[in-house]
Amino acid sequence: MSVTVSPSVAVGPTRSAAWRRLLRSRAGLIGVVLVAVVAGAAVAALLGLTPYDPVAQHPSDRLQGPSGRYWFGTDQFGRDVFSRSLAGVGNSLRVALVAVAISALVGTAAGVCAGFFGGRVRGPVLAVTNVLFAFPPLLLALTLAVTFTRSWLTIAVAIAIVYVPIFVRVSRGPVLSLRETDFIKAARVLGIPTWRILLRHLLPNIAAIVIVQVTLSLSWAVLTEAALSFLGLGSPPPTPSLGSMVFDAKILAGTAWWNLAAPGAVIVLFVVGLNLLGDGLRDALDPKNGRNS
Amino acid sequence: MKLPSTLRAAVIRCVAAGAAVALVATGCSSGGGSSDRGATGGTLVVGYTVDPNTLDPWKATQFQAVHLLEQMYGTLTQLDADLNVVPGLAEKWQYSDDNTTLTLTLRQGVTFHDGKPFSSADVKSSIERIQKPETAAVAAATLKSVKSVEAPDPQTAVLRLAAPDAGLLTGLATTNLAMISKDDTPESIGRKPNGTGAFTFGSRTAGQSVTLTANGDHWGGKPTVDGLEFRIIPDETSVVAGLQSGNVHFATVDDPLVARSAEGSGLKVTKTPSLSYHVLQFNARKAPLNNRDVRLAISCAIDRKQVLDTAAMGEGEVVGPVTSPAYKSDPNARPCPTRDLAKAKSLLAGAGFAGGVTIPTIVSQGQYATSVNEAQNLQAQLKEAGITLDLQTLESGAYVDKWIAADFTAAVALNGGRPDPDGMYGRYFTSTGNLNKVAGYSSPELDKLFAEGRATTDVAKRKEVYTRVSRHLEDNAVWVWLFASYGYTVTTQGVGGFTAMPNGSLKNLRQVSLQ
Amino acid sequence: MRAIARHPLARRLVETVLTLFGVAVLVFVTLRAIPGDEITATLGTEAAGLSEAQRKSLRAYYGLDEPLALQFFSWLGNVVTGNLGYSRRAGTSVLELTAAALPVTMELAILSVIIGLLIGVPLAMLSASRPNGARDGFGQVVGLAALSVPNFLLGAALLTVISRYAHYNPNAAAFAPLAENPLLNLQQMLFPALVLGFGLAAPIMRTARSSLLEVQTQDFVRTARGKGVAPLRLRVRHVLHNALNPIVTMTGIQFGYLLGGAVVVEQIFSVPGLGRQVLAGIQQKEYAVVQSTVLVIAATFVLVNLLTDVLYRVIDPRVRTV
Repeated sequence: MSVTVSPSVAVGPTRSAAWRRLLRSRAGLIGVVLVAVVAGAAVAALLGLTPYDPVAQHPSDRLQGPSGRYWFGTDQFGRDVFSRSLAGVGNSLRVALVAVAISALVGTAAGVCAGFFGGRVRGPVLAVTNVLFAFPPLLLALTLAVTFTRSWLTIAVAIAIVYVPIFVRVSRGPVLSLRETDFIKAARVLGIPTWRILLRHLLPNIAAIVIVQVTLSLSWAVLTEAALSFLGLGSPPPTPSLGSMVFDAKILAGTAWWNLAAPGAVIVLFVVGLNLLGDGLRDALDPKNGRNS
Repeated sequence: MKLPSTLRAAVIRCVAAGAAVALVATGCSSGGGSSDRGATGGTLVVGYTVDPNTLDPWKATQFQAVHLLEQMYGTLTQLDADLNVVPGLAEKWQYSDDNTTLTLTLRQGVTFHDGKPFSSADVKSSIERIQKPETAAVAAATLKSVKSVEAPDPQTAVLRLAAPDAGLLTGLATTNLAMISKDDTPESIGRKPNGTGAFTFGSRTAGQSVTLTANGDHWGGKPTVDGLEFRIIPDETSVVAGLQSGNVHFATVDDPLVARSAEGSGLKVTKTPSLSYHVLQFNARKAPLNNRDVRLAISCAIDRKQVLDTAAMGEGEVVGPVTSPAYKSDPNARPCPTRDLAKAKSLLAGAGFAGGVTIPTIVSQGQYATSVNEAQNLQAQLKEAGITLDLQTLESGAYVDKWIAADFTAAVALNGGRPDPDGMYGRYFTSTGNLNKVAGYSSPELDKLFAEGRATTDVAKRKEVYTRVSRHLEDNAVWVWLFASYGYTVTTQGVGGFTAMPNGSLKNLRQVSLQ
Repeated sequence: MRAIARHPLARRLVETVLTLFGVAVLVFVTLRAIPGDEITATLGTEAAGLSEAQRKSLRAYYGLDEPLALQFFSWLGNVVTGNLGYSRRAGTSVLELTAAALPVTMELAILSVIIGLLIGVPLAMLSASRPNGARDGFGQVVGLAALSVPNFLLGAALLTVISRYAHYNPNAAAFAPLAENPLLNLQQMLFPALVLGFGLAAPIMRTARSSLLEVQTQDFVRTARGKGVAPLRLRVRHVLHNALNPIVTMTGIQFGYLLGGAVVVEQIFSVPGLGRQVLAGIQQKEYAVVQSTVLVIAATFVLVNLLTDVLYRVIDPRVRTV
């Protein structure tokens, strides 16, 4: 994933200009819509606004196809697949958001410090980053997931640890070049406290990159959580997670296929939406307008 | 312009599948179909989802390891389809008058796979080594009553018992008490198996397959098939896929949904009631469960059929403590045969918990299909009586650690059953039993009853004793016994002649025919 | 010391060794933190019935009674001399297991990457040929959607449907190593590689698209077009050739991830690769198997990165002087 940023600006695109540019690109627009729809569904589920209770069973209506009563059909316990999919999105989103929030905070902080201070901070940070990068990511998440009491929070932490290195790398690069600009040098000479330099001058300039990386990492986090659930190691039942729904339903692929298609479609929509949003944001926030999209 | 993504995905899948099939449809016969044909003969491919984790019969507890090893190793006694004791390597036996000496007459002409003859010296050496702590044999406690073994002549083995032990003969019919040659060690047979069973060890590719060959010199006659291949296919759905394409011939399945799906696709599915029981275990040594009324309240507040229906789609039957066919408990012989919320609430109030009570409960995830659904349903049912089950879902390793240490107040568990009630519960509910810590309960009355059950071989008397044991366990709500589920055997249409057994044994594979 | 610090290759090597040591420590520590050990993994709840003497004997048998530091350093010392440990479950050395699994994973990864490139690059070229037009939108969204179906979903559905209705399932036959039975082996690799390749195609396509777009607007391309170079030749010879760098980097990274990350697909299609080996080791709590295999995967990943960098320099002469 190559990300470029012009190091020479002290002023980025204004927020409203960026927003307009995002919405103007077709792909970006679709991305925003998809993400909004999925996020809305997740919120609805978390507020309990689903047609049926996601864990309630209707034994007389087992394995029914999509109908007026059950929009996505029912599973082997007679549970409404649509409600479960909504709840699953809520669960996956919760895990992904927490995971990415943690990794973004920790990773960006580490990356900025390593980039700005260099010297003794740089060595350990890079060493840890390299180690985490070299460790096969899914296996790392897997190993961490089995270590703690199974809950959505520990899964989120496990995924967060796996994705910290990418934020370190993504934020360190621009800081390295920004550090050498006249603007920053002047600020240091003038005696402005370091924390203020970091917070008010450096961070806004790398904000664009970090935001883009956040959207990309969100989609990876959703997929990783789904993969973990599929291996039976994700957030524990009964709250359905998209991955565990796929795991339970894979035997039904040739028969009650809607059990598989619903969570699968939701995952796809969400991942595609996040990716398009990320691309769109990258283009919209990039002041260097050499691109055609 | 934009197709719905599911349709697009489906189209791509179909195109890919079509392309793949077209590409290889020309003359590639190795992809599908079974190997070798014929009414007798052929290699039966058995689908396993996990690699057997040991080849040492004395240490094997994993389902896959046990049922692989029982093809290669012999035991002194065996069980028939109704789990009654029948001769094995011992042809006949005789108790002394006071039931403290058991004389076994061994079969003649039995040899190990390496050609060495089987004799009483092997019996003596096997039993003595199993009893040594260094061997760490898991069934050592079954031989607790055996003081010494003598081998007066090659065909006779004499077991001297410290006290009468009526369950001993049944207990000997387990692969964990297999007879191995006195010249072999658990280490050596762990690498190269050598037993007296119907199949000899062929080859093994770790993580992929284990191949066995029919033993022409087996005392029970040569198996109908030429060999067995236990093939590791990690995903249960993929095993069913293998059965549907004919690459795999035989598999056992626990998940009722998988069994149902398999049935719908033209495979043969048979279900057998299992000895294993689903239970809500209590640790009666921990508050608030040390109060009998609290336990009884929980027992009365649960409709077991509802748990069975919601967790396992009704595939199973409600049971009492003892599940072995000959001594089966009556599930209605309990204080609340049907759910009685009023009684539960009054019991709680009487115990001083009118405002409700919270019970921390551990549940495993991933060990078997229904654990969490059961826990969910129990929680929902008990809530209506003011009892809160505080569920802690644990991954397998963490759950086993806690269970072993009895570090729980309540636990949703699936425990294995045994054909003899003394073998099944003696180790749990007698105060000197090696699992008493986990059972969380003991009483002088139970100790007395178990001793009585061991002391006599009269079946009618023993039945009466264990009925009283069941009654005691239910009246004191020691645990809440829920249900026993089914074990499913799934085979292709060409497989015939297999008899499933309630203890899950696959030893009848030697009689299977393959077409 | 300073001489080493200045020479880029030497510095790279030192970094690599340190990184691998870090991976070793990380995997050792996380494994020990997982509840349960090989005894409870092997015996399950029956381990509750063990007497104290039996338990002690088992701990010695499985090597669990040594102090942790000793366990770590004796394992690491053995690894350096080529002894990756022993698996009691499998009855063979970890080296043998890995030697059998590594080529399988490599083959799967290579096939998947090829498929990913074959799908992703042409799609990207299609998209980039008319940016922001109908083709671009189509290529982006539809391509992304179809290629973003999670690989486990695609794999499970594919396997179940084809086995049930076409009765075709080469993966349920005993696994055939490439050297022994190439025809069956390729059939067994077909579906898993397809599934994984689909998943790779999305990031490859997106990287390729943005890289192609960037190159397309550059002067030399406009010059070539003005000179009348045919469109297809233009796209391949001039644009694609120069847009290769990010594509190569992305492919290298994805290949590296496949080494351990194909575990789910390996499970579904019963491909005996490295990912499955690690998973089985974790389930059975075989520390040596997991530790050594993870180390091998990490070392291979680092090696692949190194090779990608070298390839980078070979393709793009501009980078060579850096």
